[in-house]
Amino acid sequence: MTDTADPFALDPVLDLKAASPLAQGLLAKRGTDLRIDGSLVERLGGQCLQVLLSARSTWEADGHAFVIERMSAQMEAALELFGIGPAAFQFQKDIVA
Amino acid sequence: MDPMAEIRETFFQECEEQLGELETGLMRMESGQTDSETVNAVFRAVHSIKGGAGAFGLEDLVHFAHVFETVLDLIRAGRLEPSPEAMRVMLRASDALADLVRAARDGSTTDPVRIASIVSELRQLTGEPDAGDAEDDDFADIAFAAVPVTIETEAALPPGWIVRFKPLADLYAKANEAGLLLRELGRLGPMRVTVDAESLPDLAALDPEGAYLTWTIVLDADCTEDMIRAVFEFVEDDCEIQIERNLPADVAVAASSSAVAADAGQPSDDEILALLRNAAASVEAPAVIEPEIVVAPPPPPPAVSPPPEPEPASASAEAPAARNDAAQGVGATIRVDLDRVDRLIDLVGELVINEAMLSQRVFEAGLARASAVMTALDELEQLTREIQDSVMAIRAQPVRSVFQRMPRLVREVATMTGKQVRLLTDGETTEVDKTVIERIVDPLTHMIRNAIDHGLESTEARLAAGKPAEGLVKLTALHRSGRIVIEVEDDGAGINRERVRAKAVEKGLVSPDAPLTDEEIDNLIFMPGFSTASEISDISGRGVGMDVVRRSVQALGGRISIASRPGKGSTFTLSLPLTLAVLDGMVVSVDGHTLIVPLSAIVETLQPRSEQVHTLGVDVRVLAMRGGYIPLVDVGAALGYRAMPAEPEKSVALLVEGEGGVRAVLVVDGIQGQRQVVIKSLEANYRAVPGIAAATVMGDGRVALILDVDAIVSVTRSDNLRVDASRVEPILMSAS
Repeated sequence: MTDTADPFALDPVLDLKAASPLAQGLLAKRGTDLRIDGSLVERLGGQCLQVLLSARSTWEADGHAFVIERMSAQMEAALELFGIGPAAFQFQKDIVA
Repeated sequence: MDPMAEIRETFFQECEEQLGELETGLMRMESGQTDSETVNAVFRAVHSIKGGAGAFGLEDLVHFAHVFETVLDLIRAGRLEPSPEAMRVMLRASDALADLVRAARDGSTTDPVRIASIVSELRQLTGEPDAGDAEDDDFADIAFAAVPVTIETEAALPPGWIVRFKPLADLYAKANEAGLLLRELGRLGPMRVTVDAESLPDLAALDPEGAYLTWTIVLDADCTEDMIRAVFEFVEDDCEIQIERNLPADVAVAASSSAVAADAGQPSDDEILALLRNAAASVEAPAVIEPEIVVAPPPPPPAVSPPPEPEPASASAEAPAARNDAAQGVGATIRVDLDRVDRLIDLVGELVINEAMLSQRVFEAGLARASAVMTALDELEQLTREIQDSVMAIRAQPVRSVFQRMPRLVREVATMTGKQVRLLTDGETTEVDKTVIERIVDPLTHMIRNAIDHGLESTEARLAAGKPAEGLVKLTALHRSGRIVIEVEDDGAGINRERVRAKAVEKGLVSPDAPLTDEEIDNLIFMPGFSTASEISDISGRGVGMDVVRRSVQALGGRISIASRPGKGSTFTLSLPLTLAVLDGMVVSVDGHTLIVPLSAIVETLQPRSEQVHTLGVDVRVLAMRGGYIPLVDVGAALGYRAMPAEPEKSVALLVEGEGGVRAVLVVDGIQGQRQVVIKSLEANYRAVPGIAAATVMGDGRVALILDVDAIVSVTRSDNLRVDASRVEPILMSAS
């Protein structure tokens, strides 16, 4: 993973309208190690969560890193509400490390 | 504020919004608009109140809302016709719900008999048995007995539920959100959530707007199953949901082996996980979910129409609309403490004054018009203006919030007076500053009461006069000339001028031989002390006369006028400023003083020629303009700045239009320019001055007075012209 690459920044509002653009945005990065910046996220809905979870598995299957960094407190809270532990997007970090 | 109290306060604020939506929706339904969007909005309003009330343990509210939403659910499902009778019951239920919300908020009580009677009417609509059933949602039982019947059977069970929740794509398409439902569920008690993402495909194959996740929630809450189902109630068709008791492992085993362990404790984490795995396995195996654990719509009650066939086409057709709602509604707003907005508005006001002072200094420095400083200053002025407009827009609100309170008022007053009344509203989206909105509620409430109580005739009198039995009260809001105009119109008998005059004479408010025009007689009702004992009824005479209404409207910088047509009805017109903070004004000079004339009142400016000016009688002058004559008002003389009237030919004339479209020409010495000024209340900082609406601070730091155009115009109006309400009293007193 190239540390110089700018991280993929998640939009503040990840609601149902954001799911398709998010999926397309991530697909455009497929085949590369991906660092995602979650610092701006204010709201995370079920469908964007699906996109992120699917992307994580896809990147894992492709053998590429998929890391969400600097998660905002809101994003962490939303993941917790959805039953996703903080480690869900962490183990790839170990791969990168 | 303690965080819990803060959340509670937010809940009650949201309740008020939901009650408003409920009222609006029911009114729409009453007028025949029973499309699914309207019915759903009404349902959601009641449901949201119920959900929040449940979280705060407001049992009375929860139970009433539950009975109410059952009726709405039947209508939503097409199993109950929203007949006029049903609508009448639901409107009463909406009033009762509002009372219960306010009682819960203020810690007061509601009349249990009235509530029980409405519950009974609602139950008749649903076909449910009215009393004696052992359902835990029987409000009548709750209202009079402290303990719900079901406690006994449930007390033996440990608290806790396992909920399996699988949203379908439609849930999201209809603008619902899994996360919000989970959060709602979390309000019932501590929960542990696990997600099953097994069916999630590769990103390339994923439909971002599909639904693939399933959540299992272990809810450690001592609540009823109904309370859990209520969370999912309005998405029940768009998700799969299973709810079961979270029994401790040994109890579960004992149940199957008939050997109950007496000391069954709480399940350990491992046991919960084991149960979860079992639960997950059990729901994945069968293709058809067991009927008893599927959220089923309530069984069709007797005496209502059968459910219509499902219409898949309509569901898909509704999806885009729902999505639009979501785009507009979800997260598009934030709540901000009003004090912060007010502080911002004050600061922007100071910025405007400061900017004006800076302009003045630059002007005094004698810089060229085209200099860079002047250009930058123009830009600053533009920017300041935009900031001010934007800040004011934050506080602007549609008058809907006020209008929404009126249908209930109309119903109540109609019931008390035994009259049939229909309320029509128009222009609810008209926006006005929040501070104005807050202060028009009371005057408007009184005007509506007055319109029904005194304006409309009794049903018999209406029929005798060849009118429909149902009286009409129309409430309209519109923007006109930079002000908001609110009209309350009734189709009653109009003002009984003989009676009004007689009463005024009797009360010594007017001399018996005073020559009064029809308009002056009509305006007598605004005089202090006009209401007489025989006039005061329970409805209108709640200690507030029309004079108080007029005073409160005037205190807002507004005017109230009345137009009455005998036999046809009356129209009360309120004209109010859109904001109490700023004003576009023309800066004029009068006898060495600087005055501001509100730009909204000015039609045009002109330089009168001597042949245009004519004198009528001793001191009345008019200006001939385009084939007509318009009265001239010397502002300097009217305000007492000078004893000798100005010579119009050497002055500047402003053609102004007051309330009701009455025109006059104001004579001033000269025009300095045009600018937006920040209104500073003269009453708050000094005292009320006749003819002056407020004051402002000019660029040079001096105070300039803002002219009250209507008052100035009315000062010199002769008796055969329209007399402003505010001037009736002095004119009449001088006549007597």
